[in-house]
Amino acid sequence: MLTFALDTSTPSPSLAITRGDALLGELWLGPEPGAGRRVLEGAHHLLAALDVDFRALERIVVGVGPGGFTGLRIGLATADALGQSIGCAVIGVVSLEALAVGLAETVAVGTLVVPAHDARRRELFAAAYRVGPGAELTEVVPPLALGPAPLADRLRILAGADAPIIAVGSGAIVGGEAFRAAGIEVPPAGYAVHRLRAAALIARIRAGAGRSTEPIYARLPDAEVNRRHAAGEGA
Amino acid sequence: MIDGPLLAIETSCDETAAAIVDGRRVRSSIIASQAALHAPYGGVVPEVAARHHLGTINRVIDAALAAGGVGLDDLQAIAVTQRPGLIGALLVGVSTAKALACVRRLPLISVDHLLGHVCASWLEPVALDPPFVCLIASGGHTRLDLVHDLAAPETLGQTIDDAAGEAIDKGARLLGLGYPGGPALEQLARSGDRTAHRFPIALGGKRVRDFSFAGVKTSLLYVIRDEGPLSARRRADLAASYQEAIVGPLAARLLDAAREHRVPAVALGGGVAANGRLRELVTEGAARQGLRVAMPEIALCTDNAAMIGAAAQFTAVVPWPDYLRVDAIPTAPPGGIAA
Ligand SMILES: [Zn+2]
Repeated sequence: MLTFALDTSTPSPSLAITRGDALLGELWLGPEPGAGRRVLEGAHHLLAALDVDFRALERIVVGVGPGGFTGLRIGLATADALGQSIGCAVIGVVSLEALAVGLAETVAVGTLVVPAHDARRRELFAAAYRVGPGAELTEVVPPLALGPAPLADRLRILAGADAPIIAVGSGAIVGGEAFRAAGIEVPPAGYAVHRLRAAALIARIRAGAGRSTEPIYARLPDAEVNRRHAAGEGA
Repeated sequence: MIDGPLLAIETSCDETAAAIVDGRRVRSSIIASQAALHAPYGGVVPEVAARHHLGTINRVIDAALAAGGVGLDDLQAIAVTQRPGLIGALLVGVSTAKALACVRRLPLISVDHLLGHVCASWLEPVALDPPFVCLIASGGHTRLDLVHDLAAPETLGQTIDDAAGEAIDKGARLLGLGYPGGPALEQLARSGDRTAHRFPIALGGKRVRDFSFAGVKTSLLYVIRDEGPLSARRRADLAASYQEAIVGPLAARLLDAAREHRVPAVALGGGVAANGRLRELVTEGAARQGLRVAMPEIALCTDNAAMIGAAAQFTAVVPWPDYLRVDAIPTAPPGGIAA
């Protein structure tokens, strides 16, 4: 099946095309703020380089976040409209799972893998997965937005004192100090594991992790936070 | 002009809209309004709007295609609002339109939202042709355009502070009415005396036909502060006087401009064009001056995609694959509508 995958949840949007298990091509844009706006142009160039017509695509896979709201929405709107225009299925995958999957193949069974994006405002978009046999991922902490220090504390309590925890992604770099203080390993910046690959979204589909294309924002709009505050409902 | 049906998409503010337009004929126009979603915040929240557009746009497009009796294969082009508007909201429409068009290598037309309001009366059944003067008044815009060529209207004046609809909403809030305030203020004003209170006239700015509404709003704030709790009678009088201070100058300037530029018709667009008192003033004045009044039905005055399909007929077509680089722009082009 000819599958096109895209993820715009990070400042470095990623695109990939696979046929069956074979990766035909992949492309990154950025990293820079607003790189998501060029995702369709990138898709056009990738497809043209592989001599694939959009209408030949049989499935679209898209990262549903969490990530920067605007970039995320551009990717989702693009994926949904491609599917609508082609007449093929559009399947969502949690972007953080795609970030975890590359690392899961290289670590011991039982390790807690923590994919994290920089969410600004001194917070990370993060989740945690326990690695099982065959690099299977079991969600331990669902996607959320949290500061590095409270996140690190929570992960250490969840995993137990000596269990291995490894964090990856731009959020792991940003939160490096807090993570290392809690004994959480962070691979050196610049290592490929920190980069989200759209091809990994497709791997997650094969593992049965497909879902709707509804975005995961992990944060309420500021106006809603303020409204709840004013109404005494708490955020 | 596009020969055959085109799909138009509008997501610049708080309406998710799609339409099928074929020349001057509106084959379908679907509008999913978010007004109720924004009511608890007392105004449009950009992030809430963008989230809702994304969840709604594909269904709205499907509905427009179905109601228009056309399939994606029948389309000759796709038009989309590119500017001005809330950037996160615009990007949902622009990303959707580009991806839909790109798969089919259809031409894309990126439209100025305000040209959409100007072109709404060009559509059937109103079918107005230039020359005319057009007043666009909404929650986001207040502008007076002289139209000799629908591809290049000439802006005669615009608001230098609040938009007319914004001033109406703020006034309604000061008078304890909900959001959106337009219909509630108009309702209350109907039982009031519009001569009861003299507000400052909403004129000003460097161009003769510019508008200013900040003074009117501040004046209402002071009256309410100084007079303390208002009787029901006084509240209705203030509503009527306040509404008059806003829509009176809008109508006067529209009619003055038509006289000065010797055009045979005037047109209204934007949400404030739904205001009954404004419609009444324009209709009466136009009758005295012997002018034709083009007032599209209210669903074509408030934000909609059919008007974007109309404006697309007068906007340059961007061929495939050049439009892959088309991006949403939050601001209006300097000096008015881009040619
Ligand atoms: Zn408008």
